[in-house]
Amino acid sequence: MDFLKSSAGTLISLLSLLLLLSTCSGLYEDQIKKFDWRSVHVGSLKHAYVDLNHFQPRVLLSTHEQVIGSLCPKTGEIIWRQVLEKKPRGDIKLLQVSGFADDSSDTAAAPMGSHLGFDMMTVQGHAPALVRGWNTNIGTIEWEWSIMPLNTERAQDAVWFYSNSVLYHVVPAWRSHIEVTSYFATSGHTTGSTSKIMAAWINPESCLLSGSFYVCLDGKQLISLDLLAKSTQVIATSLGSEPSSKIQDLPGLNGALIVDKKLVSVNKDQAVCPDLSSDSFIVGSFNRRKVIAYADLINNMLNINAVYLDDCSPVPELHLSVAFADHYGSPSLRSFDCKSTRNSDGKNCLFLLSTSAESIVAVQQGRVRWAREESLANVIDTQFLDLPLADSEGTLENEMKGKAGDIATAFMRRITTQAIQIKSLFLHVIGLGPPPTDTQRAGLVRDSFGLHKMLVLLTRSGKIFGIDNIAGKHHWQLYLPNVAGFENSEQMRLIVQRSSKHFPLQPLCAIVAKSVENGNGVLFRFNPITGQASEGGLLQLNYKIKQLALLPETEEDYVKGVLILDGANKVHVEPKHATPLAHGLYLYTADLKTAELEGYYVKYAGGELSALPIWNVRLGGHNSEQQIISVASKNPIEHVHSQGRVLGDRSVLYKYINPNLVAFVTQAPDATHKSVLNMYLIDVVSGSVIFSMTHRKVRAPLHIVHSENWLAYSYFNDKVRRTEITTIELYEGSAQANNSVWSSLQAPSMPLVERQSYIIPTIVEAMRETITERGITNKHVLIGTASGGIVEMPWHLLDPRRPISSTTQGREEGAIPYIPELPLPTENYINYNQTVARLRNIYTAPSGLESTCLVVATGLDIFVTRVAPSKTFDLLKEDFDYILISIVLVVLTSGSLIVRHLASRKLLKQAWK
Amino acid sequence: MHLRLSYLLIVLVSFFASGWGFLEHDGWINIDLHHALTPARPEHFSHRGNISIPSLNAGLSTIVQNPLTDSELESLKVLARQNGFYRLRATVTYPNGSSQRFLTSSKACSLLLAQFNDVLWVSLDPNGYVTGITTSQDPAPKISECTAENTQQINEKNFSSDVIIRHAELAPVPDTGSFIQKFEREREARERGEVRDNRGFFAKYWMYIVPVVLLVFISGATNQDAAK
Repeated sequence: MDFLKSSAGTLISLLSLLLLLSTCSGLYEDQIKKFDWRSVHVGSLKHAYVDLNHFQPRVLLSTHEQVIGSLCPKTGEIIWRQVLEKKPRGDIKLLQVSGFADDSSDTAAAPMGSHLGFDMMTVQGHAPALVRGWNTNIGTIEWEWSIMPLNTERAQDAVWFYSNSVLYHVVPAWRSHIEVTSYFATSGHTTGSTSKIMAAWINPESCLLSGSFYVCLDGKQLISLDLLAKSTQVIATSLGSEPSSKIQDLPGLNGALIVDKKLVSVNKDQAVCPDLSSDSFIVGSFNRRKVIAYADLINNMLNINAVYLDDCSPVPELHLSVAFADHYGSPSLRSFDCKSTRNSDGKNCLFLLSTSAESIVAVQQGRVRWAREESLANVIDTQFLDLPLADSEGTLENEMKGKAGDIATAFMRRITTQAIQIKSLFLHVIGLGPPPTDTQRAGLVRDSFGLHKMLVLLTRSGKIFGIDNIAGKHHWQLYLPNVAGFENSEQMRLIVQRSSKHFPLQPLCAIVAKSVENGNGVLFRFNPITGQASEGGLLQLNYKIKQLALLPETEEDYVKGVLILDGANKVHVEPKHATPLAHGLYLYTADLKTAELEGYYVKYAGGELSALPIWNVRLGGHNSEQQIISVASKNPIEHVHSQGRVLGDRSVLYKYINPNLVAFVTQAPDATHKSVLNMYLIDVVSGSVIFSMTHRKVRAPLHIVHSENWLAYSYFNDKVRRTEITTIELYEGSAQANNSVWSSLQAPSMPLVERQSYIIPTIVEAMRETITERGITNKHVLIGTASGGIVEMPWHLLDPRRPISSTTQGREEGAIPYIPELPLPTENYINYNQTVARLRNIYTAPSGLESTCLVVATGLDIFVTRVAPSKTFDLLKEDFDYILISIVLVVLTSGSLIVRHLASRKLLKQAWK
Repeated sequence: MHLRLSYLLIVLVSFFASGWGFLEHDGWINIDLHHALTPARPEHFSHRGNISIPSLNAGLSTIVQNPLTDSELESLKVLARQNGFYRLRATVTYPNGSSQRFLTSSKACSLLLAQFNDVLWVSLDPNGYVTGITTSQDPAPKISECTAENTQQINEKNFSSDVIIRHAELAPVPDTGSFIQKFEREREARERGEVRDNRGFFAKYWMYIVPVVLLVFISGATNQDAAK
């Protein structure tokens, strides 16, 4: 009996353990990096120092993304990286590496671990200005001090320089004077009082600091002042003519400047080589002599030359000529260093360049040693493209598309294609098949589940990347110089004009941007699989772009045309042959500043397109004090599978699914409520305000997702100082007005609105809903947090119909009782420890599998993964035991056959008895 | 030109399922309506009528509208046959004298088929300023296209309009109060021992059922052994 008791006890405990171990939605340890990858970036270069003679060779840098770091000079990999505060607090004003000071006599290097010297020092921000000393080997902060300037507004333009262990803070008061305060660099103690230097000639447009010289351009002359000199004597240096471009300083030489590609010195003690002419100069040392190196791009060849500073004689050892790829853009030399070897022949010199496409390129030994694509730190748009079909599947696809009415011919074609397939399979097996195509060789062939795609990324600098979404390999790169985002803080767009579905025709993507030169529109079309320009490539439009929309596919070449509304409210279609498809389309524009919306109806009559204004909405309030801070429309490729929601009493609450519904959020300061946030749901075809809601004492940052019949947005509540999420669901009611066709002009006027607010115990940086092929899978909301994590939040938790009191009706409906705070369990972080620094946006795309949604999160880093909101119901587990199931099947079938045989024999025997 | 007080309609705005939107400072507005009827001249607007709303919170309105002239009706029929837009321009005047222009459109055909019965939705922002004015008609029964035949017999020339004011609503805040109350109540109930266990039968009594089942199994097995 005792034994029974104990065994029952263990069984019970086992059972309860099983109950506790309910399904886990997190990732298993062996799945890490199985279908996700992350690429880490630092951003475009601001300051850089190559140091090959350190015991640990390194490249120290700071970037425009407020990152400091150290790279390995051999491979370009990041040794360490510190992501500092956001702008303006983290803006790096000065990076000083010991041993790289202006004059060689100065050295701030101190024994390790002492608080007197520094390896590397940064100055960032203006109010307060933070001065930090760093350990360059491991990237830790060693010491820090800060100052709070008296006049914070003036301090915005402050500049810093370092000389002889003293850090100088230079605050210009435009058209009046300069204030210079000096501090001991490592301690922050002032060395004296602030000196005021009268200088009425300084202005914010044309002044800079070169070493200790404050220099301003005044027409044909440079006016300068040595801030370290005892006498405040103003030096005027005349130039031959008025320079056509901005003046630049030349780091490393006190008082040297680059004016119109030439070197000029305002310091009479500092000679430069004035005859050199180049796009970029740097100062370094070679054979213990100071040299000036300069780089130019001539016919796609990068030429690097150098001269000794003292006698301007060339340094032949440093001459270099390298083929330089187009997609890097125009280079500028940033730093170089040579390894001191026995025979210093310049072979061991590493030149570091930054380019206009925000790449960091290292050139050594006559070739590009490595390149970092730092433009990926600013991704502004992404698309997932299906890969092309393998040839055999392509022919099959072709056959399926053939519109043969005759059964007999279709049958014949099928038989022949299958015969060809069998033949090619046979040839392939015996090794006589046709050679694989380029894309096949690169492994770019569609898989059976549509999980393998080409990820096209558009970056702010105008560089476009084609990246394998499984392996993370960069397949191609393109660079569009002289393009920028639009007015209204609208970014460039990446649009898919033709998908990979139309087999013999190649897919087609387009970039829509603004030309930097004249502000007109630019259209660039390319093949997203190969990265080659197609359909003529770059197209300069002769009008400004105000709004754009995609047209339906054309009949003949399946291209989705781009409908463009220009600055003068005229409409254009690109390509031209898709023009008739624009008839009957509706467009809207939104001005962020005035918060005015306008709706247009596009008409095609007599070969001409025209746009008729049909509605307008003013969200600006009386004096246009409200400004639009966010516009959220639904994903155009979204499918809504379920038209309604089954209630507790088995009746159906129909969803209000209006594809033309767009959410607008405005914000304005308010006299009584401090800050007011208004949310409007507007039908952009009829222009009617479907719903509006106001939040008091609430402000940006705002992040919004809009999908199906719901909306979720996060904001900061000023009153209670926390981030909250408000969710809204729209329902038509218990009957559907028109279940086949939606018409905004004859829509049910007033949907039922369910709403609820939740507290989210984190800072939200980005939000996006998951999307799948058919919309059957549950929707989850991916929430990017400030710490770089991405949380998968089921819609059940955000549901505004969560009942306050747990009623039976709510339970029947499957709604969880309301809890004001949303849970953030760690297993719901889809990027586990792969945090995305400065997470800015999350993009989602459906895969070929209904259960799976592809995700790319961008920020300083890029993280690519896939999520399955309703678990992988259409996919076997990857550790599925195929052998066991086959053995079981074989044994069972053979067993049943044998037993049947035996049974019949037995029956026969019995019959004979 | 004889002006006729056509209709005075009082519409109670009681469409909101939950929570009215109220303005802190009530105000009045006056709306001047102009419409474009000629398809050839889309920028030509003629006067249609005037609406005054003395109190935005009460939502009552006085509507004075001109009847259409014969030629206007004809051009509207032409517009309807072309499936064009009936465009309405509303000029809103506020108590402080400033005015704003709004534009709204509906299909001319559906206006004609609705016998000039339309609804004007006036959407307000939280401070009582108009964000948008929308005109809409009840969905036309069956007929969806205007042909010469089915527009022929329409002779109605008087507009009959309803004005509905839509206020901005106040957003919900996280309901921590009632959650804490509920939590407290549950805790008290538990302390008093009044908590009603509403779990399922198996969830409640599994600790009794499992040993019994096990006992049955084990005894069955031992019995078999004994039988052997």
